[in-house]
Amino acid sequence: MTDTFRALLTGAAMFAAGSAGAAECIAPANPGGGWDFTCRQIGKIMYDIGEVDQPVQVTNTAGAGGGLAFQTVVNERNEDEDLIVAASVATVTRLAQNAYGGSTADQVRFVGAIGADPGVIVVAADSPFESLTDMLDAMKEDPSSVAFAGGSAAGGFDHLKVLQLAQAYGIEDLRSIKYIGVDGGADAITQTVGGFTQGMTGDMSEIVGFIESGEVRPLAVLSDERVEGFDIPTAIEQGVDMTGVNWRGLYVPGGISDERFQEWADKLRAVAESEEWQTAMTNNGLAPFTRVGDDFQSFVDESIESQAELSREIGLIQ
Amino acid sequence: MNVWTGKGDRIFGAVVILGSVAYGVAALNLQVGFMTDPVGAKTFPLIVAGVSLICGLVMVLKPDPDPEIPDGATWMRLAIAVATLVAYAYALRPLGFLVPTTIAAAILSYLIEPRPRYAALAGLGLAVGLFVIFRFVLGLGLLAWPRGF
Amino acid sequence: MDILSNLALGFSVALSPWTLFLAVIGCFIGTIVGALPGLGPSNGVALLIPITFTMGLDATAALVLLTSVYYGAMYGGRISSILLNIPGDEPAMMTTLDGYPMARAGRAGDALVISGVASFVGALFATIALALVAPMLARVAYLFGPAEYFALYLLAFSTLGGIASKNQAKAALASAIGLGIAMIGLDNSSGFTRFTGGNLHLADGVDFLVAIVGLFAVSEVFVFIESHGKGSAIGVKLDRVTVPWREMWGTRWTMLRSSVLGFVAGVLPGAGASLGSFLTYMMEKSIAGAKGGFGTGVAKGVAAPEAGNNAAAGGALVPMLTLGVPGSGTTAVLLAVLMTLNITPGPTLFANNPEVVWGLIASLLIANFVLLAMNVPMVKVFVRVLSVPPQLLLPGVMMVSFVGIYSLTGSYFDLLLMVVFGIMGWLFRKLDIPTVPVILGILLGNAMENNLRRAMTLSDGDVTFLFSSGIAIGLWIAAVLGFVAPLFLRRIIRRPEVPDHAKPAD
Repeated sequence: MTDTFRALLTGAAMFAAGSAGAAECIAPANPGGGWDFTCRQIGKIMYDIGEVDQPVQVTNTAGAGGGLAFQTVVNERNEDEDLIVAASVATVTRLAQNAYGGSTADQVRFVGAIGADPGVIVVAADSPFESLTDMLDAMKEDPSSVAFAGGSAAGGFDHLKVLQLAQAYGIEDLRSIKYIGVDGGADAITQTVGGFTQGMTGDMSEIVGFIESGEVRPLAVLSDERVEGFDIPTAIEQGVDMTGVNWRGLYVPGGISDERFQEWADKLRAVAESEEWQTAMTNNGLAPFTRVGDDFQSFVDESIESQAELSREIGLIQ
Repeated sequence: MNVWTGKGDRIFGAVVILGSVAYGVAALNLQVGFMTDPVGAKTFPLIVAGVSLICGLVMVLKPDPDPEIPDGATWMRLAIAVATLVAYAYALRPLGFLVPTTIAAAILSYLIEPRPRYAALAGLGLAVGLFVIFRFVLGLGLLAWPRGF
Repeated sequence: MDILSNLALGFSVALSPWTLFLAVIGCFIGTIVGALPGLGPSNGVALLIPITFTMGLDATAALVLLTSVYYGAMYGGRISSILLNIPGDEPAMMTTLDGYPMARAGRAGDALVISGVASFVGALFATIALALVAPMLARVAYLFGPAEYFALYLLAFSTLGGIASKNQAKAALASAIGLGIAMIGLDNSSGFTRFTGGNLHLADGVDFLVAIVGLFAVSEVFVFIESHGKGSAIGVKLDRVTVPWREMWGTRWTMLRSSVLGFVAGVLPGAGASLGSFLTYMMEKSIAGAKGGFGTGVAKGVAAPEAGNNAAAGGALVPMLTLGVPGSGTTAVLLAVLMTLNITPGPTLFANNPEVVWGLIASLLIANFVLLAMNVPMVKVFVRVLSVPPQLLLPGVMMVSFVGIYSLTGSYFDLLLMVVFGIMGWLFRKLDIPTVPVILGILLGNAMENNLRRAMTLSDGDVTFLFSSGIAIGLWIAAVLGFVAPLFLRRIIRRPEVPDHAKPAD
């Protein structure tokens, strides 16, 4: 299915090829997903607020979970100063797990993140767990007693969030925690409501509709502070020192000049501060999360280190 | 009973058996990730190979009566059709839409009903007609001629 | 009532001029495709998919267009059955039994009108039933975990293989081949590619649209080359079309009974429209008894299968929309469309994309009236189509296939792959191996494997988990029965021979 879409876009790109000089944003996935949203929104706002003088052209290069785009940037467009690429926490997870065919994070430069979809842990409305600690206590007793469903594959960020929570709570046998990766957050919720898994791990935007319908109950949101408009306690409030947000941001080729990097960082900051972006965030369930420039680079480095360590611990990588 | 009845099924069944074994062997040699679920990457393909192996055996042992087997001339026509389509697949990008389509459609038309003039006209008509539909009605970005024309 | 507000939403989508336009176009194309011998709903929809995507239609529009073609083809199939004694597609096969004798007796017009109205009744009933049943059934999806889904997929394969084909081994083989092809490409869990032979073109797997167009459309050309395009001349003349009111009124119970039975047959995963028309014809034949004159050209003999297969066509949409398991070959193709559009069938589809589901249902209601108008007063237009000679039609089909896939993927490799699937389709048809299970395998293979893996993850590798719920056990039993029972039943009920020419894809 993914290849159909990729293909479709190659096809579309063939027809639309042309316009030179304009900045290009690569969305390393099909249209409709988070990366595509990042490119289209940031690209549009950059043009609308006059940070770039021509509309940003969005190219979809789906394949290998972003790996195809990453390798293309590293190998073929390393010095392209007009290129930005959509990134999210999934990019970092895959880099941490060496899933991009040997490419490493230092081959590109991370410009910044300007919004985030906070992680959530959700249970069915009739679940015995009343709080995050209830659930974690049960897991401490028997790590395999609570199975989770999430929209990412085993080892993906949805999986890691559960493991990080368990780790922060002092649960040692992380490998026994059951996780099944299904096709997206909605499916994960279906499995949890149906009682096949006891918990669902996902992003805030994936569950909003279901909270309103009353079928699921959120136990914790994994951000620094509560999300406005929702009465969901954070993990930190419940005594578990862990945050996991799916940030939305950009990286640029590693070979561009420092000045150009700084320019992109400034443009991105301008987008973050624009009213248009605030609206776009509200409409898509994103919470503010602005880290731009060198500050962001160090955040990414830390994330990669901790995720790599965790992945090693559960035997996902060697 | 004639040993030759059901020869089509027997031959195909034998091919299926060989294919299943090859597929199974390939499945056994698959790389395995570090964190595997209890099922892993090999099990399902092995089940599939097993099922098709059994089906292949059934076809060999209990074949259906043979279908009408094409004669030599028909095989020839089918081979020409396949060759035409393969060539068309390769030609579409470098040579543009019109020329390869005219030729390929004409050959196919001739193979179905050997009337040369009709076939040539059908080829030309289809190429032009479909081009107009694709390009101007549906808005597909087909190239009419080779690049650089 | 919930359903009324839902329908209101649906009609607000469906009554936009653009959607309406697509529905009419879809009905028109569908009827033509259905009427052409050899081209059935699966081929028609398959041919149009690539083009739909390249036109950049959104989910609702694409679905409306393609399901209109689907319904249209179900209507159109009867035309060549009645006039040429060649079913336009397999579900229309039973219509030849009484339709052609009627035509020979100079009553082609009556047969076309009665079967057209029967199609309308069947399809209308099915669409309404779909609107009522699907949302209820959507809740059922909460009862489906990995083990249940695995068993459900198995049921789809076994009923498709068991009921819809003559040789169990061959049907199972076709499923296995499809599943085997689905394994090609990246394995999401381990992150390694499988069975690609190092070929980069295969790293993302075999695109099922390529397989569908190859198996259903390209293979047709080989079949015609082999047969030299025999049997394409108009057999019976159609003079005047009048409405035989009295006779039609006499078939009212037949139509209603057949609609109900057809719908139920359609809902069964894997069984589909052919089963619907077969069962309804048999039912009416036994109700009428020997005096009924079935097979000699009676009105009930065309009304029953047409109401039955059109109702089944609607019924087949139910499992596809609610569980993601197609009820027939054509709905398998439609499922491919949904998946490509990133729409996940199931209860969340009804919750998250109500405009897609209800827009679709409303469009189907509208399409039905359009089809009734096209297929009764305007039926002569479509009769003309039957005179398009195959040496013009088939090269055209081929070129549309090539351009469709090429504009979608831009890769000559996929075109070659499509030709390979075309050869495979021809060979399979020669050897009487059904091709629909291949498609179903390619389509469901990864989901089936993933559910098996999820089930085993949840149970720590305990195989008995696969039979751990009532639903799962029920599905396993149904699957085994569906596969084995026809072995015995086949001796009792003989399927009528399919006329050689229009073996079919649905």
